[in-house]
Amino acid sequence: MFLKKLFSYGRQEQKVVNRINDHIKLLCVTCETFKSGFEKNDRSLLQKVIDLEREGDFIRREIVSEIYEGAFLPYLRPNLCKFVEIVDRVFDLLEDTSYNCIDMEIPEELKGECTQVAFLNIRICEMLLITFNAMLNGDPLREKTLAIRIYEKKIDDIKLGLKKDLRKIRIHNFWDGKILSEFISGLTMISDIIEDAGDYLHIISVSMK
Amino acid sequence: MWKISSGVFLGWTLGANDSANIFGTGVSTGTVKYRTAILLTAVFVLAGSILEGGKCMKTISGLSLILPMDAFCSTLAAAITMAILTCFALPASTSQAIIGAVIGAGMVSGSADFSQLYKIISCWIFTPISGIVLGYLLHRLLGYILDRTVKSITYRNLLYSTGIIMAGCYGAYSLGSNNAANVTGVYVGSGMLSADMAALIGGISIAAGALTYSKKVMITIGKGIVPLDPFSAFVVVLAEAVTLHIFTQIGVPVSSSQAVVGSVVGVGFVGSLTTVSAKMLAKISLGWLLTPVCAGLLTYLMIRCITGSLVRGLFPVFG
Amino acid sequence: MNVQDIMTTRIECVDAESSVYDAVEKMVDKRIRSLVVKFPGKKINYGVITARDIVFKVFSKGMNPNDVKNSEIASKPVVCIDQGTDLIEAAKTMTNSNIARIFVCDGDNIIGVVALIDLMSAALIMRARGEDVP
Repeated sequence: MFLKKLFSYGRQEQKVVNRINDHIKLLCVTCETFKSGFEKNDRSLLQKVIDLEREGDFIRREIVSEIYEGAFLPYLRPNLCKFVEIVDRVFDLLEDTSYNCIDMEIPEELKGECTQVAFLNIRICEMLLITFNAMLNGDPLREKTLAIRIYEKKIDDIKLGLKKDLRKIRIHNFWDGKILSEFISGLTMISDIIEDAGDYLHIISVSMK
Repeated sequence: MWKISSGVFLGWTLGANDSANIFGTGVSTGTVKYRTAILLTAVFVLAGSILEGGKCMKTISGLSLILPMDAFCSTLAAAITMAILTCFALPASTSQAIIGAVIGAGMVSGSADFSQLYKIISCWIFTPISGIVLGYLLHRLLGYILDRTVKSITYRNLLYSTGIIMAGCYGAYSLGSNNAANVTGVYVGSGMLSADMAALIGGISIAAGALTYSKKVMITIGKGIVPLDPFSAFVVVLAEAVTLHIFTQIGVPVSSSQAVVGSVVGVGFVGSLTTVSAKMLAKISLGWLLTPVCAGLLTYLMIRCITGSLVRGLFPVFG
Repeated sequence: MNVQDIMTTRIECVDAESSVYDAVEKMVDKRIRSLVVKFPGKKINYGVITARDIVFKVFSKGMNPNDVKNSEIASKPVVCIDQGTDLIEAAKTMTNSNIARIFVCDGDNIIGVVALIDLMSAALIMRARGEDVP
């Protein structure tokens, strides 16, 4: 078994790395789909987000099982799995946010800034992909994680304004208010989770040095 | 030939205990499976003892003139001393026990050569020091080289997992080459075995110990040591292996446990960590003192008892 | 990347005729350092008042902010750029005018503001993405 591992020249590890890459790329695509669907009020695109989340789950399961079948040192495995789980949380959040968006009409006063947040979510996901590839190559991550934090701060600033505007919106029943509130929370929380994911990449990078 | 049984028993306990120093961290962190670890340990210990085990035989056999019965008593006394001190959780070294035992036997016959002790004791002192120095230097040097040459995380992962296993094999080889003499060196001195045969039997007994009874210690040691990252784990084992191999060339059997402790301390220094406390140092020093003294005393008493001279001395009526 | 990608679209305003104290209050509440001053019915409709203006022109002179109107200390006209302006152009304009923020205009309407920190963050992001920082 050890000889098999030795002569595989890290093929199993490369497979895991490629799948994690695919996972993050899929996340970027999902964010783009969400933004388009939200902007154009396209229900079918918002439904597609839900399908993409399912695909993300499938990839995640593949990655975790490949890791625990022997890829990477046991020392590294929990950190890699944790990173994948964090990315998966973003998929779940996008799915919930899509559901909320399908469920109710978002007020016009909030649409502009929500679209901006959705756009920044795409950017932050792209940054996460760049950071992951940099980590694989052993490049320093400082600039990349700073860029992620910059995006997260921008979204936080918009979130502050959104929450104030939200209180000015007239709500006709409790559930509409709840769904709207959850929509805003979900949309703005994506960047927080991606920031955590970025921090985890830094941990993985440091632990291998 | 039944007299070599105590030596075989000593070798078995040595194999069961010391193989943890080689693959302990590897097994407890899951880098290498237990079965793979013990198989590799057995193969390489045997290789080490066959190829270079004879180098330390002269040191042991040259300490005193030993009769076959004395050889039996020395190894048995060493094994009992190891067992008792382990019971009291004091770090005990087989090398120190057997040296003490052989000197004890020599004192009975009046043939003990104390001049050799200076060289031997110096080597005992330098074992952990060598571990510290090599651990520190190898960590810095290899770390420097790796940071500049292997940046990809997948290649590093492959390097570490291969490195831990290869260092373990080298460690097992060094253990076999250095410690076979502890186990069967006395029989060469007493003329019962040739150096080659002694090396082979020593190697087989150590390998048997590793194969049959090392699991508990391997897992305990691995978990007890300061949590090491894969690179540090690799360097610790490599430093220990090089230390033992150096002392094999010098011809003095030394303690693999003390070499490992030194390596861990040396690696800890890189990160400005102090992994050893004053309490631990005191325990090690006590072990250094008690092990050869207890083994020597026990051997002396056993030989006297068996030859009846103790009984005659205490009870002149039997004289 | 151009200014449209990095501008803040949330613009806070104050009346030209209201007191500097109102402006200070708004800045503190909203945690911002500048406000657009609206001059209704005037030829030049907008001015800008910054924390720097308030400190240098009011507090340091020992004046009471309640007694000073925003129109008295606002800078006019505001320095504007088009939303398609690239970041280097924006930075140059800010350097030449010696200002810490610049407004993005669509015709006569202010649609956003770009501050020094926005430009700095954009430059860092471009570096991280491996894009040429102009």
